[in-house]
Amino acid sequence: MASAATASAGGLRASRYETETVRVAVSGVVLVIAAWLLFFVVDPGVIQNWLGYGQRSDARVPAFFARFALLLAVIVSGFTLVTSTAYYKRNRIRLAPWMFVSIGLVFFAVYVILPIFQSFSYSFTRWDGLRDINGVWTGEWVGLQNYRRLLDDPNFYTSLWNNLLWLVLYMLAVPIGLGIALFLNQTVTGIRIYKSLFFFPFVISQVVVGLIFTWAYNPEFGLVGEIWGWFFCEETTNIMGNPTTVCSVDPPNILGNPDVATYGIIAAGLWPQIAYCMILYLTGLNNVSPDQIEAGRLDGAKGWKMLRHVILPQLAPATFLAVVVTVIGALRSFDMIATMTQGGPFGSTNVLAYYMYDQAVGEGVGRYGYGSAIAVVLFAIMLVYISYFLWRMWQDEREAR
Amino acid sequence: MKSILKGAAFGVLATTMMAGSASASELVITFDDLNPAPKAAFEAAVEAFRAANPDIEVTANNGDREAHKNTIRSALQNDAPDVITWYPGNRMAPFVDAGLFMDISDLWASDPNLSQHFEAIKPTMSRDGKQWGVPYSYYQWGVYYRKDIFDKLGLSEPTTWDEMLAACDVMKENGVTPFTIGTKFLWTAAGVFDYLNLRTNGYEVHNALTAGEIKYTDDRIRATFANWETMLERCSFVDNHATMSWQEALAPFANGDAAMYVMGNFAVAGMKDAGLTEEQIDFFQFPEITPGLPRAEEAPADAFFIPANATNVENAKKFLAFVASPEVQAEWNKAIGQLPPNSAAAINEDDKFIVEGMETLSTASGLAQFYDRDAPAAMAQAGMEGFQRFMLDPSTLDEVLTELDRVQGEVY
Repeated sequence: MASAATASAGGLRASRYETETVRVAVSGVVLVIAAWLLFFVVDPGVIQNWLGYGQRSDARVPAFFARFALLLAVIVSGFTLVTSTAYYKRNRIRLAPWMFVSIGLVFFAVYVILPIFQSFSYSFTRWDGLRDINGVWTGEWVGLQNYRRLLDDPNFYTSLWNNLLWLVLYMLAVPIGLGIALFLNQTVTGIRIYKSLFFFPFVISQVVVGLIFTWAYNPEFGLVGEIWGWFFCEETTNIMGNPTTVCSVDPPNILGNPDVATYGIIAAGLWPQIAYCMILYLTGLNNVSPDQIEAGRLDGAKGWKMLRHVILPQLAPATFLAVVVTVIGALRSFDMIATMTQGGPFGSTNVLAYYMYDQAVGEGVGRYGYGSAIAVVLFAIMLVYISYFLWRMWQDEREAR
Repeated sequence: MKSILKGAAFGVLATTMMAGSASASELVITFDDLNPAPKAAFEAAVEAFRAANPDIEVTANNGDREAHKNTIRSALQNDAPDVITWYPGNRMAPFVDAGLFMDISDLWASDPNLSQHFEAIKPTMSRDGKQWGVPYSYYQWGVYYRKDIFDKLGLSEPTTWDEMLAACDVMKENGVTPFTIGTKFLWTAAGVFDYLNLRTNGYEVHNALTAGEIKYTDDRIRATFANWETMLERCSFVDNHATMSWQEALAPFANGDAAMYVMGNFAVAGMKDAGLTEEQIDFFQFPEITPGLPRAEEAPADAFFIPANATNVENAKKFLAFVASPEVQAEWNKAIGQLPPNSAAAINEDDKFIVEGMETLSTASGLAQFYDRDAPAAMAQAGMEGFQRFMLDPSTLDEVLTELDRVQGEVY
């Protein structure tokens, strides 16, 4: 009996050992084949041919899925192999978290970190963004030329100035958002509907906001033109007998006037940003401690004093978050500008991000080196802010411990 | 890194696969116009090619024109089709210089159509003395005007600068803005500049300027801008042009608030869509400014090219030769309301704009592509922004010209 039990236990051990070996062997084979296919052989076009699609562009999707499946196979088999090593088993607790973030880290490195360094290196070159058919880069090294040219470029200073305007004026979203939040922080029937209405502009896409404001600003048929028309214009018929409008004072063309166009775009950008800050403060107000308000009241604080000394300190985390997202929003103003003016008239509403796009990619201008130099400058400016932000985060983490 | 590895591996490992796909006779064409008429004309031509070459399996891809301006870059460098559309003149220069377009001078020399009936357009398709593409269509630019307004005011088509200025005075007295334009996307202003420059200084100066050989502060270019200033004063343009696209600028034209439009022939379709009839609109050549100067015209062309790493080169050349034939050119351009670059091709005699355009271009002393196709893209972008700035405020002229000189110094 005893010997039989030992034998069966041994058999169990043996079979477990065999399964493990098979698993490792299969993973190894899968990894090698899948990785070989993915990185060395399979061009999308080849997969398309295998799948019988020829070179039709509608075959991109199946080809994409085929590559995706191969990538998954590589990841799964790779992980199986790593987790089966004795080293991993000994250090499982320490290594497991890194296994989870490893995929994210790889993509972050390839799509975020690497391009940053590529931008740096391109900024010292003159390059139109093209490689020849052998994949050979066609640019030339020009040293600091792009940076020297930036110093002489009036458009660069316009963009820089506009970036500054965005940063400063966009900050208005924080106090206005706070004001609306305080106003809406009450219990009346249907307050949720009002809150939703105020929050609405943040939900819709920036592109839609841009379009709405572009139409509103239109001096002929937009809101601005309409209202102007009540005071200064009258309907007449023109020479062909069609109705037309004649104005004693021309309506303001906000987006067509280089002096005010940027302010017009910032105003449009503020609309959703105020809503965002408002919702941050509304959440913060929910967590304001009633005890402290009560205590403040007993001490005779009310109105402005109450807000300044009792409420606002408790809202500090919300304020920090609001400032952070507003700064990010101001630097991300790209899509607003792209929708509303494309940097025009004559480049007067460019910011660095849009000017970079305009010079490198837009309309085939193809000054990749120059665009990269602009990107590097923008990166340097943002680095100041990012460093402060990271430092602050780090401090908070340390205090929390 | 990955692409290098992949490229190297391709040479060693995948040659057989590539060879396999090449032997099956295929042809992949990438086109870039989804507007109804051009799309239908392209598809009809592809159908005709299929019928004539049943052994070739043709795949035709068609995409948005603006998106194509970006996607062509990756298409040429990675998985190239066998035939692709692009613009001639300086817009093809970056791709030619990077070796991404195939030299098809042999086809131009051997093909009976290309060697005989494309003389006028051949310089545009050439770079470094070689030919790189085959044009399928081109069109005239000029002044499109409201004939009914002209008739009502007793005006006739002006042929000289003074006549045009006088006509403008009459229009303004009667509450009509002489010109409409929409400069939001900038290139429309370049059309006006090109014509003023061609009429003030002629074809050679246009080419020298776009080739970077003369400065913007040159006296001849200043003379062009002086004429433009006169035009802005006496032949004013609609207000708010800086925020309008060319299509939006059709509204005042259709409503009768503005009477003239410096435009390409493609605008006729838009004018008709806006409710104007064939009788209400007409065309005249941009009037003479410097007396006795040989008349040059703007005539941008659209063309097909063979990417350097196309798979089915023989079939691609067959298709280009097919596109160059007079029948295909005639049919195609009849459908899209433009002109066939093949001088032996028939034109649509029922379309007065086409007849007049043919007359205009065939008698011209030189054909310019367009400011933003003749000048390198980076120069064109800065130049057109400068034009817009000048139009909004002529007093900035000196600043504009100095700035353009600076960009010119960097770009060429």
